[in-house]
Amino acid sequence: MTILLLADHDQHTLSDATARALTAASATGGTVHLLVAGHNIGAVAEAAAKLSGVSTVLVADDPALAHGLAEPVAATILEHAGDYDTIVAPATATGKDVFPRIAARLDVMQISDVTRIVAPDTFERPIYAGNAVETVKTSDKIRILTIRTSAFNPAEAGDTPAEIKTVAVPQASWRARFEEEIVTKSDRPDLSSAKIVISGGRALGSADRFRDTLGPLAERLNAAIGASRAAVDAGYAPNDLQVGQTGKVVAPDLYIALGISGAIQHLAGMKDSKIIVAINKDEDAPIFQIADYGLVGDLFQIVPEFEKALG
Amino acid sequence: MPSYKAPVEDMMFLLRDVFRSDAVFAEMPAQTDTDCDTIESVLEEAGRFCSEILYPLNMTGDIEGCRLENGKVITPKGFAEAYKVFSEAGWGGLSASPDYGGQGLPRTVQILVDEMLSASNLSFGLFPGLTRGACETIEAHATEDLKNLYLPKMIAGIWTGAMALTESNAGSDLGLLKTSAKPRDDGSFTVTGTKIFISSGDHDMAENVIHLVLARLPDAPAGTKGISLFLCPKFLVSEEGTPGAPNNISVGALEHKMGIHAQPTCVMNYDGCQGWLVGAPHRGLAAMFTMMNAERLFVGVQGLGVADASYQTAVTYARERLQGRTPGATVTSPIIDHPDVRRMLLSMRAFTEAGRALTLFTALEMDREKFHPDPEIRRAATGLVALLTPVIKAALTDFGFEATVLGQQVLGGHGYIREWGQEQVVRDARIAMIYEGTNGIQAQDLVLRKLTLDDGQPVVRLFGLIRKTLDEAEPVPALASVRHAVQNALAHLESVTKRLTSGDLSSAEERNAAAVDYLRLFALTCFGWLWLRMAHAQTEAGISENGNKPAGKLATAQFFADRILPQTASLAVQIGAGSASVMAPDAGQF
Amino acid sequence: MKTILVPVKMVLDANVRPRVRADETGVDLTGMRLSINPFCEIAVEEAVRLKEAGHAEDIVVVSIGPAKAQDTLRQALAMGADRALHIQTDDSPEPLAIAKLLRAVVEQEKPDLVILGKQAVDDDCNQTGQMLASLLDWPQATFASAVSVDGDRLRVTREIDAGLQILSLPLPAVVTTDLRLNEPRHCALPNIMKARKKPLTITSPSDYGVDTTRRLTILSVRPPAGRKAGIRVSSAAELVGDLRQAGVL
Repeated sequence: MTILLLADHDQHTLSDATARALTAASATGGTVHLLVAGHNIGAVAEAAAKLSGVSTVLVADDPALAHGLAEPVAATILEHAGDYDTIVAPATATGKDVFPRIAARLDVMQISDVTRIVAPDTFERPIYAGNAVETVKTSDKIRILTIRTSAFNPAEAGDTPAEIKTVAVPQASWRARFEEEIVTKSDRPDLSSAKIVISGGRALGSADRFRDTLGPLAERLNAAIGASRAAVDAGYAPNDLQVGQTGKVVAPDLYIALGISGAIQHLAGMKDSKIIVAINKDEDAPIFQIADYGLVGDLFQIVPEFEKALG
Repeated sequence: MPSYKAPVEDMMFLLRDVFRSDAVFAEMPAQTDTDCDTIESVLEEAGRFCSEILYPLNMTGDIEGCRLENGKVITPKGFAEAYKVFSEAGWGGLSASPDYGGQGLPRTVQILVDEMLSASNLSFGLFPGLTRGACETIEAHATEDLKNLYLPKMIAGIWTGAMALTESNAGSDLGLLKTSAKPRDDGSFTVTGTKIFISSGDHDMAENVIHLVLARLPDAPAGTKGISLFLCPKFLVSEEGTPGAPNNISVGALEHKMGIHAQPTCVMNYDGCQGWLVGAPHRGLAAMFTMMNAERLFVGVQGLGVADASYQTAVTYARERLQGRTPGATVTSPIIDHPDVRRMLLSMRAFTEAGRALTLFTALEMDREKFHPDPEIRRAATGLVALLTPVIKAALTDFGFEATVLGQQVLGGHGYIREWGQEQVVRDARIAMIYEGTNGIQAQDLVLRKLTLDDGQPVVRLFGLIRKTLDEAEPVPALASVRHAVQNALAHLESVTKRLTSGDLSSAEERNAAAVDYLRLFALTCFGWLWLRMAHAQTEAGISENGNKPAGKLATAQFFADRILPQTASLAVQIGAGSASVMAPDAGQF
Repeated sequence: MKTILVPVKMVLDANVRPRVRADETGVDLTGMRLSINPFCEIAVEEAVRLKEAGHAEDIVVVSIGPAKAQDTLRQALAMGADRALHIQTDDSPEPLAIAKLLRAVVEQEKPDLVILGKQAVDDDCNQTGQMLASLLDWPQATFASAVSVDGDRLRVTREIDAGLQILSLPLPAVVTTDLRLNEPRHCALPNIMKARKKPLTITSPSDYGVDTTRRLTILSVRPPAGRKAGIRVSSAAELVGDLRQAGVL
């Protein structure tokens, strides 16, 4: 059995999500080929080759792949899909965008957001915003999976780099045209892979207070910043910081929820964190029911005290 | 945190399974399209509007209240916008006549939406409620010209209505009112006087306010036979229907009230304003009273609505709040596990669901009265509606208030502070027991007028319906003990009714002294009857889609039968004791 | 554009906490409140806005599901859709089968645009739109947070992991909606009444010759591993101490 794993990257760096999806892919049993599709992606391919468990890195380099758009990426995978019985991607925005296109073309029912590999054809995945977990067994000949990366540890670096092979990219006039990307610049670690995440809710009250309250603490702890849907909807934080059912799902070592009440949709995105800290002035906030450490009080008072206590 | 979800499921259970409304409306040519699926989609959307737009304004409106600045009333933040959305979505015209732009839906649907409005934001709900009352009065009694000029804009919510009855010396006894009306050359009148307690008397939510004012013509006989009704717009309206010059109507003051702070209850000055006669001269009270049944039903569901809002919050809280351990528990228990909290929650639920059933039963009779082609059926409906109107008005607001106090009690200290909204609901609920005829007046209406109406036919008919339900339930073993309790209650009610109408308690003084207790006995028996009907429907194979039936109906019926209905026995004893001890002390001894 | 097709799904109301059946066969829906999937409602709203702005003439909504799904279609009609198609089935077809049925509907209705929710909040699959685009060989823009008409093309802002991405698509195309695309309207009463009279056609999956046999067997559905409440601390200093002891600071 050979497994094809689609690497997640931003054309420059390989994301941590790839290493985590690799752990899941390897668990299905077989040799893993890692496909890096993009443009001018030598560095990404080299990083990919270092991952333990990857036998071959396939590099699909073409200007059409520069923005990870669904049509060319799907076509590239389909070009090589015949060689594999399991095709895997991390459930990142690109994975979610591209994979159902491949699955439909191969007449396969995709299994989204896999959190556990039970057997090569049997998988666990969360449904109802994580309020239930279903175990499904597929009858399809080919398995197409996207991986909930927070459920898997990243694969380690291997001893010997994998072979890097260039593969063909199908040529066509792709119809969706890339116009621009508005990337939120941040010096902070990536939300999906940070060891510590500090999230703010609507209790922060404004974009300025959100930034001024969370920023220094995140700096201090080298943490990523997240937000509840309420905070994003209110405009306090950009959409890519949203943690929850429809935002990012994170599982850091430490998750600090500031002024977040804990709607089930939010909990779905962070409840697998190793340690959860909740700071909220409402002692009945549902977040306290899942927090390892709860502190009731005014976050605007507590956060500075917390920083001070860090020494 | 508190939230409100419209009880659409329970409402549809009543319509589909208990009252089978599809068959009822199928008999009315104007309502054949009003099937349950249609009603459900209307209720779903109305419920969504109430939960998402009106409920969030309820507490903020209470805190902010209305202000009078430079003679103008300013409603709390968000009210004017919400009213605009409400009106543009056509909710104000739900049951209004299609001739003037309404949707012509039956009273049954209107009253369910009224419950949601009252539950989510009583202060707000009074704006469209009073406008509807004014529209119905105008439609029934005003000239074609007035109807064409005023109704379309009022039904569309562009203008609102106000009912100006009470004066400082004329409350329950409107015969004492002094506001005067003098004829003008052009056929209109000059109206002068001061009215108090005028709900929605003035505000910033609509471009005009149409006052229906009770006043005396120069040649009027004294007392209630000399009162006429006048339409007086805040701004005079051109023939094209555009509001123009102010009409000498001003706000004297805003009343400072216990509750419904977001509702501008005004002292209104009519300083020689121009008005138009609605209905015949000296027949103003009669014109006003054609709407009375509908208005009193509306006030009844206000009590029901606030009780349900309080119940929903109390249940949410009781599930989440951890205090104490129930016997055998190893961890702290949610308070909903404690017997006394259950008693309170079940008492609230037993009342709200029975109250809703009684409201719907009566609203369906009102629709028969209005829309049924058979005059016999219309006449029978008229009698039942007349009989049940004071019961609904008083019982639903009395029990509704009691329910809000229980809802406050469930939260302990958290019910006394503002945060969960439970203390507001208690304050808001209180008014419904007072206005639109105090509950004492309602009880008098029941014992002095309604019991003997049409030679007592309506009451005989109602008891017959209760007996029919008892007979139908007899073969169902699961209903035996509820049925038995209802049978006992009916026996008490029938025996006391006999004494009041033709026995030892039939003097006016005895009836008066018995009135409030009797109304309560009457209401509890009706609630028992409807709990039996609901329980019976629950045991039958459902006709609801998905077999959806509200959970816990049978248990609540049993609770009502076991723990509340026995009060009918003590009420019968109280009433039977007669007026002697009530009348014994002379006034100086108080 | 002439026609916009909006597929919608009825799901357990997003405000209701799902309860897993004791026999582990699924989530218990008996007696539960069912509503239009929130993302689908956003899709209907967007289509209606495009029509109101004069960019489309005809909005067709389609739902595949049990009889009760008609409530969802009526709601979409009350919001402003013109016609509804109900492909009635008591099975719950998987996204792949749904996409095939939708392809058949597209071939009949020939819409210029299909807008649908990015995922249903019951199975959380996030597949149908992409699968449909693939089967039709149409371009797609998933997770849209803004849509505008730009001549004969569509300009779509997508929510992606790194921020926002803007694509320009020729028509016909498939767009899937994200939460912030719009806020769905409250329906007006006259529109709810009119919706009862708007055309609603009922068909069945077999009318389209689509095999809806499930590919995935559900072996079990279980509640997630619970997470217990921990301890309450009384000060920030105590919290820092505890976190240091736990080795995460």
